[in-house]
Amino acid sequence: MSAVEIEGLTKRYGDVTAVSELSLSVDRGEVFGFLGPNGAGKSTTINVLLGFLDPTAGEVSVLGTDVTNEPQSVKARVGLVPEAFEPVPNLTGREHVAAAVETKGADDDPDALLDRVGLDPDDARRPAEEYSTGMFQRMALAVALVGEPDLLVLDEPSAGLDPNGVQLVREIVRAEADRGAAVFFSSHILDEVERVSDRVGILQDGELTAVNSVENLRDDLGMGSVVSATVDDVPDLDPLRAVDGVTDVSADGSTVRVACAAPGAKMVALRRIDEHATVADLTVEESSLEDLFEAYTTDRPGGDDTATDADTDGRPAKGSGPEAATVGGERA
Amino acid sequence: MSSATVARTDFRSIRRSYAVVGVVVAFAALSALVFLGSGEVHPHPVRTTFGLSALVAWALPLFLAPLAYLAVAGDRTRGTITYHLGLPNTRAAYVRGKYVTRAGVAVATTALGVAVAFAVAFATYEHAPDPGRFLAFGVLSTAFALAMVGVFLAVSASVTSRSRAMVGVVGAYFLLSAFWVGPLPVLNLGTALDAVAALPGVGLSDSVRALISSLSPAGAYFNLLPELVWADAPGEYAALQQFAGRPDYLGYEPWFNGLVLVGWVVGAPLVGYLRFRAAELG
Repeated sequence: MSAVEIEGLTKRYGDVTAVSELSLSVDRGEVFGFLGPNGAGKSTTINVLLGFLDPTAGEVSVLGTDVTNEPQSVKARVGLVPEAFEPVPNLTGREHVAAAVETKGADDDPDALLDRVGLDPDDARRPAEEYSTGMFQRMALAVALVGEPDLLVLDEPSAGLDPNGVQLVREIVRAEADRGAAVFFSSHILDEVERVSDRVGILQDGELTAVNSVENLRDDLGMGSVVSATVDDVPDLDPLRAVDGVTDVSADGSTVRVACAAPGAKMVALRRIDEHATVADLTVEESSLEDLFEAYTTDRPGGDDTATDADTDGRPAKGSGPEAATVGGERA
Repeated sequence: MSSATVARTDFRSIRRSYAVVGVVVAFAALSALVFLGSGEVHPHPVRTTFGLSALVAWALPLFLAPLAYLAVAGDRTRGTITYHLGLPNTRAAYVRGKYVTRAGVAVATTALGVAVAFAVAFATYEHAPDPGRFLAFGVLSTAFALAMVGVFLAVSASVTSRSRAMVGVVGAYFLLSAFWVGPLPVLNLGTALDAVAALPGVGLSDSVRALISSLSPAGAYFNLLPELVWADAPGEYAALQQFAGRPDYLGYEPWFNGLVLVGWVVGAPLVGYLRFRAAELG
């Protein structure tokens, strides 16, 4: 049974469509990164998941329960870090966590949870409205962890956190997933999402343009990696361009850059360079999630001519972009 | 269970606010002043409850409004509502918890004010205060305060911004208290009914006017006081005797006014919940 099952979700506000025909599923024990530019519909989707908003159309099931009919039974098994909320005035961080423990009927020790998220015990007894953003996020994460939820919904959990805090969030997310919880994870820190997510979904203008692992998204967009070789003398680049799997070759001073869509193309290209020049230095950069995100949400190369590249099953051909991206065998 | 948790959380929050202490203390101080200033003029404390009733009807809602208008709207504006409703609290439990805390403050404020008035009367008046009359006055005043807090909470639960909550609460106060049974010479219900009655073909009998006047919390409150607090009061004060021999209109019947007041106490927060239940939060 999926932890989250969304089928044909549409949410409209008057004439504005915030989310359109969104379908995706998240399995138990999976970390799902939910990405998209501001206004793409991420928060709307999360608010529907939690029963804060009713869908205009479609079905949303969380942990096997229809969230529109039984939001309470769903919320008892969900931990939430909402985006941009303020604390209850005059309440300490510990009291926020203790109230969550009481509401969920859990037997968690609030101090242990606060210790797990790295909030100092003295700070935990200060009013939460005095917290820095990072301290507040730690408290919110402790609230979300109450009762060992089966689904964690984290909306920008690392906002305002220092690098140690970001690392801590990553560790907690992985630990929760290892425990069997599903993690629905929205963040603007793409590096963080890339490191922690099993799969990512990219939302743009209310529509899901891609769902897959970062690796598969790279393959699908032909944005595998870039080999940069520093050479004594730049060779003829045409033999490099002829290598199967090489998508782009350029030279800048004594550096030759070869973009490889296929993993096997890297060594072949490197041998070609080595045949005609002495390689003094070498780096290999994989395209980041940021590159993929840009490709799926802007009109960068690889994202324009997709309709003609898509095959008859609706799956994108190599080098195709977001508009036709029913990648990874999932509906997108 | 979750309703109690919301209420407890909310109570912890507001009791640490100086505003709550200020409201409770300020109303108690004003109640004491009303009685301290009238002891030599009216030797019977019951006469001074006439003046205190005006303080209850026109000033007490203004004291309670700042504590109530952001009860729900403030949480929505700050996003704090996602903390409460992200936990397994139903919307009904959330609104109930919010109402319980605000109602608790209203009850404490009113009860303390009346208790202080009783104590001052006991200590300084020529005639001892009648505990029964003060108890009835306290119960009626508390019911009125609860009705107004219910209205304010309903407004707060129905809007999405602080400014709308403030405008709505001030508007509700003005309409239901100041305008309906208020001291303003022109801006009041009587003038409005006169204007309606002056229209060609429209006539308003005294019984209909009495009925309409009783339909607000303040109207019902003022209609109940003569029967339950001031009836057969000692001292033959004209202010209290003016209500003797009122016509047998439905609008003056204690049971009807009691029903109106209970209707506001129960109905207002219920309407607020029904509005909130269907609200889109996000």
